[in-house]
Amino acid sequence: MKQIGLVLPNAPQYSETFFNYKIKGLQNSGFDVTVFSGKRKNEKYFFKHFGAYPVYSGKPFRQFVQLVFILLITFVRSPYNVKNLFTAERKDGNSIMESLKTVYINAHILPHKLDWLHFGFATMSLKRENVAKSIGAKMGVSFRGYDINIFPLKNKNCYTKLWKNIDKVHTISDYLHTKALKLGLSKEINFVKITPAIDTSLFKLKDNLGKIKNPLEILTVGRLNWIKNYETAISAMKILKDKRIDFIYNIIGEGIELERLKFAVHQSGLNDRVFFLGKLDHAKITEKMHRSDIYLQPSLQEGFCVSALEAQATGLLCIVSDADGLRENVIEGITGWIVPKRDPDAFAGKIIEIINLPDVKRKDIALNARKRVEDDFKIEDQKIKFENFFKE
Amino acid sequence: MVNKKLNIAIYSGNIPSTTFIENLIEGLSESGFGIYLFGKQTKVVSYKGDVKIFSTPISDLKLVIFVMKESLKLFFKDSRLLFRSLKKICSRKKKLKIFFTEAGAILPILNNPPDIFHIQWAKTVEQYPELFELLNCKFVLSLRGAHINYSPLNDINLANAYRKTFPIIDGFHAVSEAIGNESVKYGADKTKVKVIHSSVREELLKKNSELYKGEESLRVISIGRHHWKKGYHYALDTMKALKDEGINFKYTLVAQGEIPEEILFMLEEYKLHHNVEVIKGMAYEKLIEKLQQSHLLLLSSVEEGIANVVLEAMAVGVPVITTDCGGMNEVVEDKVNGYIVPVRNPKILLKKIKEFISSNYDFKTLMTTKAKQTIIEEFSREIQINDFKNFYYSLNK
Repeated sequence: MKQIGLVLPNAPQYSETFFNYKIKGLQNSGFDVTVFSGKRKNEKYFFKHFGAYPVYSGKPFRQFVQLVFILLITFVRSPYNVKNLFTAERKDGNSIMESLKTVYINAHILPHKLDWLHFGFATMSLKRENVAKSIGAKMGVSFRGYDINIFPLKNKNCYTKLWKNIDKVHTISDYLHTKALKLGLSKEINFVKITPAIDTSLFKLKDNLGKIKNPLEILTVGRLNWIKNYETAISAMKILKDKRIDFIYNIIGEGIELERLKFAVHQSGLNDRVFFLGKLDHAKITEKMHRSDIYLQPSLQEGFCVSALEAQATGLLCIVSDADGLRENVIEGITGWIVPKRDPDAFAGKIIEIINLPDVKRKDIALNARKRVEDDFKIEDQKIKFENFFKE
Repeated sequence: MVNKKLNIAIYSGNIPSTTFIENLIEGLSESGFGIYLFGKQTKVVSYKGDVKIFSTPISDLKLVIFVMKESLKLFFKDSRLLFRSLKKICSRKKKLKIFFTEAGAILPILNNPPDIFHIQWAKTVEQYPELFELLNCKFVLSLRGAHINYSPLNDINLANAYRKTFPIIDGFHAVSEAIGNESVKYGADKTKVKVIHSSVREELLKKNSELYKGEESLRVISIGRHHWKKGYHYALDTMKALKDEGINFKYTLVAQGEIPEEILFMLEEYKLHHNVEVIKGMAYEKLIEKLQQSHLLLLSSVEEGIANVVLEAMAVGVPVITTDCGGMNEVVEDKVNGYIVPVRNPKILLKKIKEFISSNYDFKTLMTTKAKQTIIEEFSREIQINDFKNFYYSLNK
């Protein structure tokens, strides 16, 4: 049985469908999956789980004792793997202390015998670039939007070491792979595009397809973060209000930009139109989706965007920005609409256009979107693709 | 009639405070007020005139001793007040450390009561609500920027604290008409709100700057910390459009702190590295020099009280374009002493910049002359201090 180690920031919770499906799928295909996360926790999972050893910042003595102790144990358990990683780190020009630290932060992975060590995010591979090779495994990495588009802005050349060691890439959109090539990934490295998939049994098609309500209900789901660019959506809502269109705009999600966005709503005179519903569970989100007419995704950057896919599965009329992966998420004029990002006039104009469409046309679009999700974003397909990914 | 000398507590919680509060302290003490300063002292400061500092120590041990000393003092002065205060502080705060911090802040004020207690930051009313019951004097509150304009929108406790205390405050100092109106929403009595503008250092008025002639690269500058309220992302949208139109320009952004991901992302996406320079803060003198070397000051904010940097640019003769936020339209009149554009609208901002570029030299001269005049007539130190004088005396009648 092939052994796969999956490195994630946290062991996936029940609600994190993407990783849960991925892990279950791999188990069903006969792989043995071990998850390595940042924290040691005594929780029951349906997979093997190992957490990293703690870092005691600000407590140098405790850290030192812990470091010596863990290094010894790890060395006894897997002397060659420790030696390999240490030598590789020294070869890369790191000091003895730095190299020992790298061994420490990877000590929960080193004793395992794996065929693949797969990193769920490119950022997860930082300081672990030599680990796969040291334990005789292949190194796989998944690319996501933040990893490739945002993180390297502040951390120039952060992936140089990764590009040298990576064996295979999983990307969620073509766009991200192209971008990674620009950042220095070699064209020779194998890559497979596996988009997120949707369990359509969890997202039932809404009633009254094609009909829209008065007031119109508009929805966005996502973290309140600058990347999502809610400010453009709010400016678009102001245009709608000025044109005397009756609507409600609900935003589901929480995040650090709440104050900024509440102020934008307040300043635009939209306190009675725009509502922040906070973070909601899956059941509440689908309920809200069923009651909404239009779904907006005004993001500045997206790897792919699962929420927009879920909205399409529900039969919502989707307007997305032309940011990166979103262009692969929606087919313009067929399963939804794509408008230029940061252009409130374009978003407002498209909403008005949709209001003026005949019911039949709107129903067509909604059905097309549902069908495409059913056909092209199947959980079963995702499972097979991941299976092949690790089969070589 | 000779007015009795008034003792004013200028309370910001910190000694020394921000530049404009320090300027206020200096101006008021020069014009004969007694000034009391309370709070934590982070630096050694010396003031001219009658300025008394009652600082609260920072380290734990010193704080405990300080609280005991101040308690004793108050015991001999007014024992009932002491017991009432301690009861009040105890009832709200559970932790011992917080009790001492709070007692250390409040007791020295009760021991040295001023005639007027002037709170500089509105958030103080949430921090020390006991003060209003314990201290027997007139209360003045300054209404400045964020504390009124957006913090209470997202902080229900703060909004409630405002609603509870604003009705019992004796006078409000608003930095602009706009912010005065905003405070009414939290129960401030409109008739008690007095608008007193900030002032600009007089030496700036003596300076002049070279105007844009049209042959050289246009130098645009924005100044102010990295914060969403500054609307720098809208400014960069405009810069992208300027670049697309083939206009020869350089945009300098002087902002303290780490460059946010959002800004880095835009510079990369728009490929603006050749046109945009981000400087992480500058010393004040250098900053004024940099401002003088610019052809245009851009304020792209979505929220401000009245932005000092616009006043400073007008004082040194640099043309300004500002968004119509907060009290900015009380300073700038479009095409008279500067340009004013709606908030959150890069398209209109672009049009204005092009309008500025194509305006003739005489118009630019006239506009900057008028701007300087605005500052002299409405934002001088003399007017500011005089207004405060009248304001304080009117309260103490």
